[in-house]
Amino acid sequence: MRAQTLFRIVVAHFAISWFALAGAQEPVRIGVVQPLTGPVAYDGNIYVNTVKMIVDGMNAKGGVLGRPIQLVIEDGACNPAQSVNAAEKLVVRDKVVALLGAFCSTSTAATMEVAKKYKVPLITGISTAAQLTEQGNPYFFRAVATTPMLGDAFGGALPTAVKAKRFAFLVLNDDWGRSMVASYPKAIQKAGGEIVATEYFLQSELQFLSHITKIKASNPDAIILAANTQQAVGLTKQIRELGITVPLIGEGSWTSDSYLKLAGPTSEGVYGLVEYLYTIKSPINDAFVKDFRAKLNENPSKFAGAAHNAINIVVDAIKRAGTTDPEKIREALKTTDYNGIVGNIKFDDKNQAYGQTVYLGLVKNGVPEVVTTAQIAKP
Amino acid sequence: MVILGQHLFNGLLIGCAYALIAIGLTMIFGVMNIANFAHGEFYMLGGFVAYYLVSLVGFNYFLALPTAVVLVVVLAIILQHSIFRRLRDAPLMTTTLVTIGLSIFLEHSALMLWGPQPQSIPNPFPTKPLSFFGIYTTPLYIFSMAVTAALIVVGHLLIRRTRMGKAMRATFQNKEASALVGIRIDRIYMYTFAFGAALAAAAGAVLGGFIPVEPTAGGIITLKAFIVVILGGLGSFVGAIVGGILLGIAEALGAGYMPAGWKDAIGFFAVILVLLLRPEGLFKRA
Repeated sequence: MRAQTLFRIVVAHFAISWFALAGAQEPVRIGVVQPLTGPVAYDGNIYVNTVKMIVDGMNAKGGVLGRPIQLVIEDGACNPAQSVNAAEKLVVRDKVVALLGAFCSTSTAATMEVAKKYKVPLITGISTAAQLTEQGNPYFFRAVATTPMLGDAFGGALPTAVKAKRFAFLVLNDDWGRSMVASYPKAIQKAGGEIVATEYFLQSELQFLSHITKIKASNPDAIILAANTQQAVGLTKQIRELGITVPLIGEGSWTSDSYLKLAGPTSEGVYGLVEYLYTIKSPINDAFVKDFRAKLNENPSKFAGAAHNAINIVVDAIKRAGTTDPEKIREALKTTDYNGIVGNIKFDDKNQAYGQTVYLGLVKNGVPEVVTTAQIAKP
Repeated sequence: MVILGQHLFNGLLIGCAYALIAIGLTMIFGVMNIANFAHGEFYMLGGFVAYYLVSLVGFNYFLALPTAVVLVVVLAIILQHSIFRRLRDAPLMTTTLVTIGLSIFLEHSALMLWGPQPQSIPNPFPTKPLSFFGIYTTPLYIFSMAVTAALIVVGHLLIRRTRMGKAMRATFQNKEASALVGIRIDRIYMYTFAFGAALAAAAGAVLGGFIPVEPTAGGIITLKAFIVVILGGLGSFVGAIVGGILLGIAEALGAGYMPAGWKDAIGFFAVILVLLLRPEGLFKRA
């Protein structure tokens, strides 16, 4: 008799909680695949923390379509296989309506196939390898300028902005560095500058003395570099230690807080070619920086900026679609006309973002200030 | 000419560090018959511990370097005592697998403890470069070159002139005979392992001032040290020194005068040539 009573209570309990659950609003699930471990874990974590912060803010204001937003976060580790597994899990098991990911271009390229297979939109704010949007994958959207686009927008402005004529390149020997060397020189030469040296270093190097010595021999007025935080710090220090005092212009994390902290006083006078700077003056950015500093205790980096763009564009599309059907969200994404922290963003027929502002920052007293801006033209 | 001088100077600076790291590796191989794939991790730990002592605990820079070395040596002794002592008569394959595992374990422990952020050890030297006849350097570079060179000499004297060094060399030549004449093999193993770890940690701590320290730095260092050891001859102390400096200079000149990307290949070409033409290494076993 007793066991029976207990059984009834248990059944009643489950029934009640089931009805309670059904009555509550089912959340809108958005999947995030970012590297939380591995070589770019630091920046991946910044991205994830930013998205979480923004979604918390949205949920406090009622979420989207009257339903709360739920983030489902998976670690892609900047590894294509792991990123694919993470995306599969998010789509199949967690039934997410859109994906944000996957940082490294190789991982994004692999994840794009999952998006296409399950017809779920995938949006990246970070992967810049030009060929990603050339594949005609209708489910993939890129909310960031590619390196060639940045080169076209900025190359011509460099000779005047840094008052230099003879430019040398010292870039990472991969897709990114090579596409810089393929795009910037044309614009620089058109503006009256010349290229006096081009030198590549490997991902595994931390000591660049011989490359720097070689660059020094060409006697440049300015050096253009492509490097992530870790190599950027070593490069800056070693270039100055070998007695080169010309301006450095870096694409990558050259003006981020972590770079400035690690490079210390040697970062003074370094230029950064970046998609976002926390010193941008606009009401929407001021609010973002204030919130970011309060919750995460640092200044937002370009990866935080990328996260801000990506999540806002997706939620904006869900709002305009009026439904959580991934196909409808994809259609809404195509007609994006979003005004955010870096200005207006629209997508072209290949789902490549254009119209946004990019920035040339200069480090003064440890603070990256905006020197000049350019707008990404419609490709 | 000035550019060539700068390349040679850069090569010597890095070459001394390669030599210092390779000495430990070659001694551990010669005496203990262990190919220590976790050797680069001692370099990484030396750098990280020094960084933490200086920037978080507030140690004086010159006090932090030896303290970091001592702490890494303590870890090495614990590892030797708990793992390698039990594998004294195990085949090379077994110990190799154990060191590979150990290397992964140490790298990921560092990643969990300290995060993926690369760090530079703050140092009291002025950052203003010095110029000698057009060759640029900094006080820190000169300091690190002096320290690595001095440690190489100290290591050499230790092996050549002390009783312990004599016992190490005896064990190297014949383990059983050494045991018969009363050399305590276990103790010699412990000394050798600690000695090797100390030199690698010292290199990491000194270089950490200008080459950022990060948890995954050990892998490439182990690889370079193995190139040096094979070049110089397995178990050869002098070979490790000459091989290290040669590799440093060859890389500097290669990167300076050859197309990009060849820098890391040069060492491997040299290894293939040596293995084909002189498989015992440039210097025979000492």
